[in-house]
Order: sequence, then C-alpha cells, then structure tokens
Amino acid sequence: MFRCMETAPPVIAQAAAPALIEVEGLTKLYGDFPAVTDLSFAVRPGEVIGLVGPNGAGKTTTLRCLAGIIPATRGSVRICGRDLATQPIEAKRRLAFFSDEPRLFDYLTVEQHLNFTARIYGVSNYREIARPLLEELEMADKTDKLPGELSRGMKQKLAIACGLLHSPEVIFFDEPLTGLDPIGIRRMKDSILKRSRAGAAILISSHLLHLLEEVCSHVLILKNGRKIVDGSLGEVRQRFSEQSGDTSFEDAFFRATGESKDAP
Amino acid sequence: MIAGALFYYQRHWWFNRLLTRLRRLRQPKYLFGAIVGGIYFYWYFFRTLGRGGRSAGIALDYQDVAQGIASLLLLVAVLLAWILPQSRAALSFSEAEVAFLFPAPIGRKTLIHFKLLKSQTVILFSAIFVTLIGRRWNGGDFLLRALGWWIIFATLNLHSLGCSFARTKLMDRGLSNWLRCILILAAVGLVVAGIVLWVRYTLPLPPAMEGNPDLAQLGRYANDVLHSGPIPWLLLPFRLVIAPCLAPSAGQFLLALGPALAVMALLYWWVIHSNVAFEEASVELSRKTAERVAAVRSGNWQTARKPKKPGRSPFRLRPTGLPAVALVWKNLTSAGRLVTTRAWIFLIWIVIFAGFALHSQTRQAGGVGAGLAFFALMLAAFSLFWGPQMLRNDLRQDLPATDVLKMFPMPGWQVVLGEVLAPAAILAAVQWLLLLAGWILFPDQFNGHSITLGQRTCFAVAAAIVLPCVDLIALLIPNAAVLFFPAWFQLGKDGPRGFETTGQQLILMFGQLLVLALSLLPAAAVFAIILLLTSRLVPAAPGVLLGGVPAAALLLVEAGFGIRLLGLVFERFDLSAEILIQG
Repeated sequence: MFRCMETAPPVIAQAAAPALIEVEGLTKLYGDFPAVTDLSFAVRPGEVIGLVGPNGAGKTTTLRCLAGIIPATRGSVRICGRDLATQPIEAKRRLAFFSDEPRLFDYLTVEQHLNFTARIYGVSNYREIARPLLEELEMADKTDKLPGELSRGMKQKLAIACGLLHSPEVIFFDEPLTGLDPIGIRRMKDSILKRSRAGAAILISSHLLHLLEEVCSHVLILKNGRKIVDGSLGEVRQRFSEQSGDTSFEDAFFRATGESKDAP
Repeated sequence: MIAGALFYYQRHWWFNRLLTRLRRLRQPKYLFGAIVGGIYFYWYFFRTLGRGGRSAGIALDYQDVAQGIASLLLLVAVLLAWILPQSRAALSFSEAEVAFLFPAPIGRKTLIHFKLLKSQTVILFSAIFVTLIGRRWNGGDFLLRALGWWIIFATLNLHSLGCSFARTKLMDRGLSNWLRCILILAAVGLVVAGIVLWVRYTLPLPPAMEGNPDLAQLGRYANDVLHSGPIPWLLLPFRLVIAPCLAPSAGQFLLALGPALAVMALLYWWVIHSNVAFEEASVELSRKTAERVAAVRSGNWQTARKPKKPGRSPFRLRPTGLPAVALVWKNLTSAGRLVTTRAWIFLIWIVIFAGFALHSQTRQAGGVGAGLAFFALMLAAFSLFWGPQMLRNDLRQDLPATDVLKMFPMPGWQVVLGEVLAPAAILAAVQWLLLLAGWILFPDQFNGHSITLGQRTCFAVAAAIVLPCVDLIALLIPNAAVLFFPAWFQLGKDGPRGFETTGQQLILMFGQLLVLALSLLPAAAVFAIILLLTSRLVPAAPGVLLGGVPAAALLLVEAGFGIRLLGLVFERFDLSAEILIQG
C-alpha cells in the first residue's frame, strides 16, 4: 500500500455509480453560532474530494458530523446508502476517520490495538489482513510496543492500520500530512490514491492546496460554514479563471474565498 | 528592562486568570460550585479566623521539644533532597515560558530570579493553607504564623534548588547517584552512631517506658537530649528557620526573624552562584509537565501516569462476538498487570492458605484472625463507596477519547456496558476476595452467639450475590454524571480549577450518594419484605440468602434500565456542546 509514489492523475469517478457519501442540508450549530450551514454534496466511488477553506470555515466540524462523532443540528448524511442518524451502526461499519492527531490508547500495544479494532468491527480474519499491513507499514517488529514508544509517524501508521482493517468504503482524512516526514507524505499520497482506485470515496480536509491538486478529483470550498463552490478541479479552476485561461488552483481558491495572497 | 517584562507577564497572568474565573461564574454550574466551595472553605477554615484560633498555641513546657522535633524533621527533609532525586537540575517552566524566555536575551540569573519569584505565589498559598489547618492546634497570630510558614517553605525551596544544582555538578564530575546516596547515608550513619554513643555515656538513662509513662518526664528527657552535646549545633540552622513559626509572641517573632532571613540569604547566594546548566533538563521537564497537566485536567489520570510496560491481556479477545467485550478487555488491560487470571489465582491461594493457617485463632473473637475478618468485611462494605471513586477505567477515563468511541459501529448501550463492566468486575473480584477472607476467618463465637459454618456461608453467599449488583449501580452513577455533566469532569486543557471545583466535587459526591441511596431503596424493600415473610419459616441466615437473590435481581434490572438509558444519552451525546471544537 505504501510502497512507491504513483504519479497517475486522480481517478475518474464512476459517474453512473450511486454516491457513497450523500450530504443534504447539513447544518451544525454551536449554541447560536452556525459552524456549518446548509451544506450539500455527494461523493461517488473512486472520487477523492478535497475540503478546503480558511481557518474557521467549518471543515473539521463537517468531517466530525460526517463521521458520526458529533450530531448534525439539521440535514441528513448517508454513508453507502445508510442514514447516519437512523442507521448509525450500519453506516459507521463502512467508514473510517483519520484525525490530524492519531488517537490511540496509551495502554494498548500495536498488536492489542489491532485485536481490539478487529473485535469492534468484527473482522474475523484480521490476522491475515494485519500481518502484511504491518509489514508494509514497516511495523512488523513493533507489535509489542506501546504508543508512547512510537514516533509520531509510527503512531500515524498504526492509526491507519487500525482504520483500514475493516476495509472501509468511505474514508475521511483531517489534515493527513500533519507531522509526517517527506517519505511519510509520499506514502500517504500513494495510500489515498490506491484506496480511491479500489473504489473508496475519500474526503480530505487540508490547508495544503498542492496536496489537494495532486490527489483530489474534486474540491469543495467552504467559508464561514457555507459552501462557496464544489466540482471537479478543472471546473473550479475554470470558474475562477477570470478569462486568463491557466489559473492555478491556489489562485482559484483565493478568488473564491475573497482572500488576499499577499503577505501582510 | 527584562525584569519589568517578566513582572508584566506575571502580573497579567494572574489578573487574566482571575478574570477568567470570575467570568466563568456566569455559568450556573460554576456559580453553584463556587457557592458550595465557598461555604465549605468558610466553614472549615475561615469561620474561626477572627476568634484567634482554636487553641492558644503550644504549651510553653513543650515549646522547646516541639522546636527540636520540628528541626529534626526539617533536617530529614533536607537530607532526602540530597538522597532521593536522580535527575539533573531542572527549573520547572511552562511550555510557553520555555518557548518565549529561553531563546530571549535573558541571562541565566534572571531566569532563576524569575523562577524564584514565581514560586513565591505557590509558597504563599501553601503557607496560608498550612496556617489555616494548623490553627486547630497551633493557635497564635494568623499573620505571624503564615509568615513563619512562608520562611520555612521558601527556605526549603531555595535549598532544593541549590541542592539540585550541586547534585548536577557532582554528576558532571563523575559521581553517580548511587555512590552519592551511599556516601551521604554513610555520613548520616556515622553521625547518628556518634550521637547515640554520646547520649548513652553522658546522659542518665531514659525514664521507664512500662505502664503509663509520665509525658512531662519524657518531654524533659527529649529536651535534655536535644540540648546536649553536638545535637544543638547540628540542628542550629534548622532551629533558626523554624523559630519564627513557633514564636509565641510578636516580639520573639521579630527576634527570630533576623537569623532565619540570614539562613535564607546564604541559601540564595548559593543558588545564584551555582554555575550549572539547567536549560536542557527544564525543557524536557516542561514538556512532561504539560502532558501530565493536560491529561489530569482532562480527567485522564491513566494518561498522566503513562504505562512503561505493556499490560498483559486479561483474556484472549476473539475477533468476532459482542463488540462491548472489546471495551471490557481494553479497560481491564489498562488496569495493569494485577488484573490477570494468574494474579487473582495467586491472591486467592494466599487468602485460603493464610486464612486456614490463622483459623485456630478465629474461634475467639479477640484473635488476630478475627480482627482480620472484621477488617476484611469492613473493607468490603466500604468498597461500595471508595471503589467507584478509585476505579475509573470507564467512561471517565475514556472521556477524552469520546470521538473515537462515537465512531465505533456499536449501539450506545453496548458502549456504556463495555465501559462499566471492567471496573465492576475488578471491584467484585476484590469484594469476593475480602468476603472469602471474612468467611474463613470469622470467629465461631461472636458477641455471645454461636456462628455456624452454614450461617457464615449463607451471609457470605448473599453478600457475594448482592455486592456486584450494587457495584454496577454505584459505577453507573458517576458514568451518568460524565454524560450529563461532562464539563464538571474537567474536560480539555483549560479545565476548571480552584475552590469552585471543590464545590462541584462536593455537589457531585453528595449527588452520587443520594442517587445511590435512592437506587437501592426498592431492592432494600424487597429484601426486607422477604426476610420478614420467611422469618417464621426459616432461620435468619437462609432468610438473608433468600432475600438477597431477588434483591440482586431487582438491582440488575435497575442496572439494565440504567445502561439502556445511558446508551441513548451516549448516542445523542454532543461533546461539542461543552467544548468548542475548532471548525
């Protein structure tokens, strides 16, 4: 999974296939403050959608709502056709969420994390899946280590191994490159592309526009909790090109959000 | 200029901290906590402030002895500072202080001064606190006592700092921690041996200890020892430091103040002129402290004590089956190495062997075995109260990882069940062990009544059935409190502190006790009715067993309802309502 950098362009979505992530009118209020307002979009198998926006745009809140961590105030989220509000267990069985900071249990070893995750998701053949996965992640000799004994990159790998153990069809990444070294970054990109080729619907929240350009087929720009624009990378670029023809995604982002590129 | 900046920082740190706390009182949960905490502190500490303390102070007869003993204690504290610590000198700074101050153009001495000044706040609060506590027996003028305590704490703080610098110097010169400890202990041993010999050959023998020794006579003898030969010289610096705190009048306080301040000045000179690098160790210490504080404030005491070795799995976790079992397995693993089948079999064998070895002494109520039996049964009873407070490897431990739990594809009731079962199982196992000890060791005769083996067995089995069910209820209550009032469990890095937190904890504690009492009422009623109905048919002991079984069943039904209800609450649990999650 993590072996080599694959420079192939983002996967072309299976347009006819039903969407694996369907979001309609998603709204999340913190008290009276609207963190996300009336957000709607869909992600089909093989699509990698980049969720992008300035700080406080509502990216993390959106991801947490989609992963079922916090309840939406209004609207609906369907994961592989299952409504997250009415069929949460069936929906959660099909998704994985990777936060920017790997969330591990301090007192469980690498092996115990995998065993625990297997029982939670009912992965009967987890040893067959975990062994090659650990070897590929270069963690095969660290199975009896506690998270406190692992580097940040290793912790990230363990979180990924746990998250992929049940072969999720929908994957959410929140700032997936935070704290990774160049090799880790390359492998993470490979991993994302590989999962999308395998037919997973992937949503990535990140501030790194070049990452999104490399791995995403689609983007969704948020500002102040509202959707500014969504579509394929080409469509978004074209829409904000200002008749110049070859606008970069970075330029398109600044135009879409009304932010200035110049340093203060 | 630098000093001004540091003073500015410290002043505003305190002001903003106070302001934040005052603003927080707009929320009812903090306001109620502050009111209850305020009443508690007033009632316990401040009520007698204007009355000049509860006692007039230490009697003059014992003043000298008290000073001698206090000096000895201070000497021990100083010696421990040289013997125990193993690490290099490190001044504790916050992570932000390290980030801002260490790269700044600030001299080493200024950093030490800043640290010394910063520590004065804690020392001052500690001095006031100890004075308030000490007023129960020490009496005297509040201000003078508080100043006296401040001198003691500040001197100890200076010594601890200087000592850490000196230890680091010794380490840099190749003297290992072990060798240093051995040398110091050998020196202490020589001094103690010399003093004992001197006392033995120069002073008269101590008064007889048999019967009721005369306390005044003993005091006089202790005074003679402390004021003879080399001891007064050995304790002189410690006496000088302690003298202001024990001074019976303002005049004597002023007389004692000068020498005490002179000792402090000497220590200050030592600290400032110790040329030891502390920066690297301080950076590491600040990182560890920040991690620990964040973990403790988020209620995650387990993380605060990071495991050094992997825990052994309590049982083999199969990859398929009820997911809740995974949570039980995880929480039992977190409980450490003691929660393994092997450990418990070992403990059971110890209880059985030791119990039967002492059995011969249990026939009479006054024997050692009988005493142990009563102690074990008392512990089992009290475990209903301390158990749920001590065993927190449930939702209270996992609250910071709620987002992980929320992602699991399992219904809420399974999450609650899985979380609560681990501490319940540990508590039940402890109680069964105690009951086993009580059952083996309980005397055959008690209070003039004969207690047969059958009666003992009936009581023990009834308790063994009922207690785990009560445990489950008792553990559900704090877990319910976590879900209903998560902010009261000090979430996040900026969790509440201060006397409003004490108030909150008092409210929670009384609330939990009240809910537990109410939850036990139906089962207690069923138990009492059955005991009454069967009292004419069967003896008391089997009646207790007959009543205990339906009472336990009722408790289980209650626990089942509780788990279902909490499961629904967990499914709707919105942590973001309590903590603003960055969007």
